[in-house]
Amino acid sequence: MHIARRLSTLSLLALALMPAATFAQTPGVTADTIKIGSFGPLTGPNYLFGKLVMNGVEVVYNEVNKAGGINGRKLVLVREDDRCDPATAIAAVKKLIYQDQVFMINGGGCSNAAIAARPEIEQAKVPWVVFAAVADEVTMPTSPYIFSTALAASLESYAQLDFALSHGGKKIAIVSQRDAWGRSRYAPLLEAFKKKGITPVADEEMPADANDGTAQVLRLRQAGADAVIMLLYPKAAAIFVRDAQKLGFKPVLVGQTALSDPLAFRDQVGVPGALDHFFTINQMRYTPEDAQVGKWRTAMQQEFPGDRLSVYNLFGIGSAQVVVEVLKRAGRDLTREKVRDELAKLRGFETSVHPGPVTCSEADHQCHKTPAWIQLVGDKIQLVAVTPVTR
Amino acid sequence: MLAYLLVSGLTTGSLYALMAIGLVVVYKATRVVNFAHGELFMLGGFFAYALHVLAHVPYVLALVAAVGGTLALGLLTERLAYRPLIRAPTVSLVLAAVGFAYVLRGTAREIWGGRGDYIPFPPLIRAEPITIGSVLIVPQQLVVLGGALLCMILFVLFFNGTRAGKMLQATAENAKAARLVGIRVERVYAFTWGVGAATAGAAAALMAPLTLIYPDVGGALLIKAFAAAVLGGLGSLPGAVLGGFTIGIVENLAGGYLHTSFQEVSAFVVIMLVLIAHPSGLLGAAPARRI
Repeated sequence: MHIARRLSTLSLLALALMPAATFAQTPGVTADTIKIGSFGPLTGPNYLFGKLVMNGVEVVYNEVNKAGGINGRKLVLVREDDRCDPATAIAAVKKLIYQDQVFMINGGGCSNAAIAARPEIEQAKVPWVVFAAVADEVTMPTSPYIFSTALAASLESYAQLDFALSHGGKKIAIVSQRDAWGRSRYAPLLEAFKKKGITPVADEEMPADANDGTAQVLRLRQAGADAVIMLLYPKAAAIFVRDAQKLGFKPVLVGQTALSDPLAFRDQVGVPGALDHFFTINQMRYTPEDAQVGKWRTAMQQEFPGDRLSVYNLFGIGSAQVVVEVLKRAGRDLTREKVRDELAKLRGFETSVHPGPVTCSEADHQCHKTPAWIQLVGDKIQLVAVTPVTR
Repeated sequence: MLAYLLVSGLTTGSLYALMAIGLVVVYKATRVVNFAHGELFMLGGFFAYALHVLAHVPYVLALVAAVGGTLALGLLTERLAYRPLIRAPTVSLVLAAVGFAYVLRGTAREIWGGRGDYIPFPPLIRAEPITIGSVLIVPQQLVVLGGALLCMILFVLFFNGTRAGKMLQATAENAKAARLVGIRVERVYAFTWGVGAATAGAAAALMAPLTLIYPDVGGALLIKAFAAAVLGGLGSLPGAVLGGFTIGIVENLAGGYLHTSFQEVSAFVVIMLVLIAHPSGLLGAAPARRI
């Protein structure tokens, strides 16, 4: 009798403690919080891809928290600085996973750092929503727990060729820098050409820190190129476009997300009229000046006084909205596996900033597939097209 | 095509030449290659930017201030990275210069690193190209060429026509003998570092509208300037000028007539060939032989 009573008391105690035990088994989740880690450059010249994106993430999380959180839990963001450095990124994710014990990760600003961090995250089976790193190696081959809300480099290359063709390009040429960044786009671009059965009329190289583009422009002009796909960073691109204008070479110039700020690019080129035929990709539907992102502009100024809304904040805002959505769908009884499954099931989700719906699947974890094409007209950045891209 | 390639080659070549002169001046006097020279160029550009673009100081004054600012930085480099190690092995001096370069670059990244990455510097005269003969030229290219040539002429006048220049040459030739005739060699060394840095400041203020400004701009330019100095004969000022122009022109001709993938490597191939045929460079003095 005495033993039976003691057993029933223990059973009742075990039942009462069960929810707490479940949370205790899921790292980063308590009765009222979900800890989410983020890594990217917070300091150094590349802080745009980390600090600013994380500020965007935090604004969304804070908004959710003010509204009561997700299924009764508040979101807690833990930031780690990787300085865009692969070794530092590995240390950063180790700290997030094993020391801070985050539930999931919403981060990854620089491709090289994100690629280096991938095995550690993969091994720990922590859901990771990549917010800014675009190299295909971050998400391919597909890993069950890794998804991206950034437009992958290879998709951009395919989109660039599609755009050149849709703008009447008959003789399409390439000018590219052949460092790691350039090659990650150059190879899929050649693949896209091959799939369409087209050969580029010219294929020129340009160093990322070039100070002159005369030779490249003259060769492309000689080849009769009517559209030029530019796989260049802003400096080389500015030099190329300046020299093209100087030499009266005026093809359709097709940029990508490294050139997604046409106003800054115009100042870097510094020659009037040089951007008349220049089009480029914006990862997001809106620019920071657009009325549609007024809410975020205000929120950013309130949360981070002195900061102006930037396109990098928008990357974070869109990515955080995806995280919030899958956490909601995963329900109160939260596990990493449920979040993974919800990410894989996410179809046609509209964030307030992405150009098109965010769609993932079991086989495809590059969930952003809709580049927005923009052009500078006068002092205004205009949306030219929003076209989904497929390989 | 040839005319365009030559004009562009001369413009970039003048940048390499100005940078190389700064390296050679320091090397002649101290036998040390200043590996912080690229960062001095970068800071010269930022000085000019801060004054001309942000503070709206007239360009010529901004240029003078950039030259003065880099001169001061050169003196500081000498004081912090060179003088304390003056009796140390050359490798220590080189490492100190490399370390100082990192400090300067890191400082610039902290101050200017996140402001749009590549900061534009407005052209000094109209941005639209003009036609000279049958060649279209961006006027800024002419400014750069003219400015670079003026700097080179000033250098020649300084070395051959002033007492300070002659003291500098004397120290470069034989420091011990210079000391014996009463030249304060330490002061000359400091002055040398300052003058070398000032050429980087002048080059930066002239070239900024063409190169853009960013904290890492100096690294690649230093390699080209060093290559120009070696090609011309490390230690020869006319050689530095010749080497700079040669590299600029060879790069453009190779890119235009062979393929742009040869552009970067072509200059170094030429350097290898020249050094095989003439190990002391185009205008370098042949090493003395012991008989």
